[in-house]
Amino acid sequence: MIRFLAKRLGQAIVVILLVTVIVFLLLHSVPGGPARGILGPQASPQAIAAFNHEHGFDKSLVQQYWAFLSRLLHGDLGDSYTLNQSVGSLIGQRLPKTLVLTGLSTLVALVIAIPLGVWQGRRRRGLTDYTVTTLVFVGYATPVFFLALILVIVFTEKIPILPPQAPQAQTLGALFADSRALILPVLAGAIATVAAFSRYMRSAVLDNLAEDYVRTARAKGASERRVVWLHIMRNSLTPIIAMLGYYLPVLFSGALVIESVFNYPGMGLLFWNAAQTSDYPILLGTVLVIALATVIGSLLADIVQALVDPRVRGSIR
Amino acid sequence: MSDRTKGETVSDSPALAIEDLHVSFSGSGGSGKVRAVDGVSIRVDPGEIVAVVGESGSGKSVTSMSTLGLLPPTASTSGSVRVGGVDVTTLDGPALRAVRGSEIAMVFQEPMTALNPAFTVGWQVAEALRLHIDGLSRKQALDRAAELLETVGIRDARRRLGQYPHELSGGLRQRVMIAMAIACEPKVLIADEATTALDVTVQAEILDLLRDLRERFGTAMLVITHNMGVVADIADRVVVMYQGKVVEEAPVEELFAGPRADYTKRLLGAVPRLRPRGDERTGEPAVAGEPAAPGEAALAIENLVVQFRGKGGAKVRAVDNVSLTVAKGEVLGLVGESGSGKSTLGRAAIGLITPASGTVRLLGDSLTGARGSALRRLRRRCGIVFQDPASSLDPRMTVGDCIAEPLVINKVGDRDERVVALLESVRLDPAVRLRYPHELSGGQRQRIGIARALALDPDLVIADEPTSALDVSVQAAVLDVFLELQARLGFACLFITHDLAVVGLVSDRVAVLNQGKLVEEGPRDQVLFDPREDYTRRLISSAPVPDPVEQRERRARAAELRAARD
Repeated sequence: MIRFLAKRLGQAIVVILLVTVIVFLLLHSVPGGPARGILGPQASPQAIAAFNHEHGFDKSLVQQYWAFLSRLLHGDLGDSYTLNQSVGSLIGQRLPKTLVLTGLSTLVALVIAIPLGVWQGRRRRGLTDYTVTTLVFVGYATPVFFLALILVIVFTEKIPILPPQAPQAQTLGALFADSRALILPVLAGAIATVAAFSRYMRSAVLDNLAEDYVRTARAKGASERRVVWLHIMRNSLTPIIAMLGYYLPVLFSGALVIESVFNYPGMGLLFWNAAQTSDYPILLGTVLVIALATVIGSLLADIVQALVDPRVRGSIR
Repeated sequence: MSDRTKGETVSDSPALAIEDLHVSFSGSGGSGKVRAVDGVSIRVDPGEIVAVVGESGSGKSVTSMSTLGLLPPTASTSGSVRVGGVDVTTLDGPALRAVRGSEIAMVFQEPMTALNPAFTVGWQVAEALRLHIDGLSRKQALDRAAELLETVGIRDARRRLGQYPHELSGGLRQRVMIAMAIACEPKVLIADEATTALDVTVQAEILDLLRDLRERFGTAMLVITHNMGVVADIADRVVVMYQGKVVEEAPVEELFAGPRADYTKRLLGAVPRLRPRGDERTGEPAVAGEPAAPGEAALAIENLVVQFRGKGGAKVRAVDNVSLTVAKGEVLGLVGESGSGKSTLGRAAIGLITPASGTVRLLGDSLTGARGSALRRLRRRCGIVFQDPASSLDPRMTVGDCIAEPLVINKVGDRDERVVALLESVRLDPAVRLRYPHELSGGQRQRIGIARALALDPDLVIADEPTSALDVSVQAAVLDVFLELQARLGFACLFITHDLAVVGLVSDRVAVLNQGKLVEEGPRDQVLFDPREDYTRRLISSAPVPDPVEQRERRARAAELRAARD
């Protein structure tokens, strides 16, 4: 287990380094640059040159990257150009909120998706299966921003029962205090996830229903409910957990859209605003966080999978 | 379980009585009904072992499934299946579940997939108990499960309880399946091809176990099998099924001594038997002439080692220092149990696996050092026939394209003519070249596999279990085609199989592999009838022969051998 973790940690560091290189190159190949974003379109060429010199943008890319990397190794993500705050503290403020949002919507999604998938798997090719499949595909195909807008229109204007804006609180406690305002953002995030995961669950259950061990369990005299919720469930969860780990970055990018629609003060909104002002340090820091989340997500998936599936447990020892 | 003895349960009423059973399946898309079982009646008395034999599609498995009400919802059933006087076909829901596993239990073919991979074997055996015995605590159930594992001959039962199916060998897994089946002391035990996936030595042990359980508990058994050797070994009475009907029913010795139905005669005639060849076919290679010099052998393997990375990064030798030669025009039978490395050796012989050390020479040229075009030129002179014709033919290519592919790759002209000639040589209608593999039967597909292997007129053919997936009558026909072609074309062949009777039929010489090492090699009659090594003797004595009288003697001999080894 320790060898496995050490190996995965090594891989993670390489992956994250590669991500920083790619993002660094991409950001610097975008026209405009931070000087125009901050000083405005009227800025004189001298002012821009002075700004670029001050922030080291007149050095070569390799030198700039090296400077970024050496600061990173000291735990310094740099300072935002526009928000007069260090990127580290900005992420520290925003990340927990995004985690709350994505965590809650994933939880809601799984609570709905897993039983739904199992239920559909058992009633394959019935009218209900087709109906649910259609609804799920519509949910899956609808862009998140559009879905969020529909939710806002329906639940704040047509049936005004929920506030259109997410809670603007600074602390997590205050966030939960205004929990009614959380419902729409969480729901918007959950719908697409429900669609994806109920499909995975449905096909996993279908695959497992055809397995020989199901016939054995029935031959022992196990009830259909026991066969499905105990025997099949345990084996169907393995692919779901693996998917969930790799789904983490997708959830994060979903949060980007949802946070900007509902004006939720999380990482997504931070990234969105920074992208518009070419605030390089924030963009780099956010991407780094997402890369880290991806790596951690897949590692967690492997570990949880080992807890569920004894065959995997043997191979990561 | 100990207080129920054979004498107590013997009565006039049968343990299992299937009467006039009809099962049909409504085809998907409303394409009419398919009759799988058509008026079958079978009676099994307490303590009796009845074998149901038949080839695939005979309805034997459907019959066995119907006894537990395990047929899919698309099946419609009529007739009765009485277990201890209760008609199972009339039950459903809780009443049916109460019978399943407690009155009548089943052992399935493939113990790897028939056990749930996510639960320990202890949990699974305990589940069988807890489903039927009220108020049994988890602890009590596990204690009882340990006793059951001991009953089925698993040593160290306590430790085994906590293991998962993938941690056990095939034989142990099947013992666990049996322990689960006998957990609630069922009156009837159904073994559906229960030994088919096992090695012959393990099969012999499982058959002994079944016999022993019958002695101890007086369980009635219905043994479903396609293997006439197994029938001869274990059955008291035999029911022969063909296309959903019972064609013959007789005590085992009568059936083998004097089969009455035409189908039974054909079936028994198709079963390969291990007999000394004598003068029927000489041990000489098919191509006449002086014995080939070692340098000219079709295949010469020297000190071959193939390694795989095993658990925890430790290297496992799948093939361990094996030297073999196959002379031109000779058929070398390579026998071994699963995991013996015989398939790996076959693959290494034509360069599909890179060996760790040792050399492979094809017709005098070194294969081990060859790269790129030199390797391809050498491979051109080899053909390979795989075990499963269903998965080794591309489902998206027509039969003609499958056979022509080696010709296309090697830019040989006149493809159509060649494909037609090849199909005719494997006794198939050339018209099948326009069809797709899934439209053909298993036997036809394997003939196509042979035709493809012979497309480039190879000097060496590797045949890896080519008939293992086929029914006996189909196997007989395919082997016949193979032997005729081998005699006519004179290719050398490495024939890999676990079936000793098949080896006896096709080989000039035989090599025996065990755990990656070459145990014994020599002329066919010497290895199969006068083996020098203990392992070979044990292997040969474990394979049941399709003759109940002879098989009884062999069983006694095998028991002696095992006793001597322990």
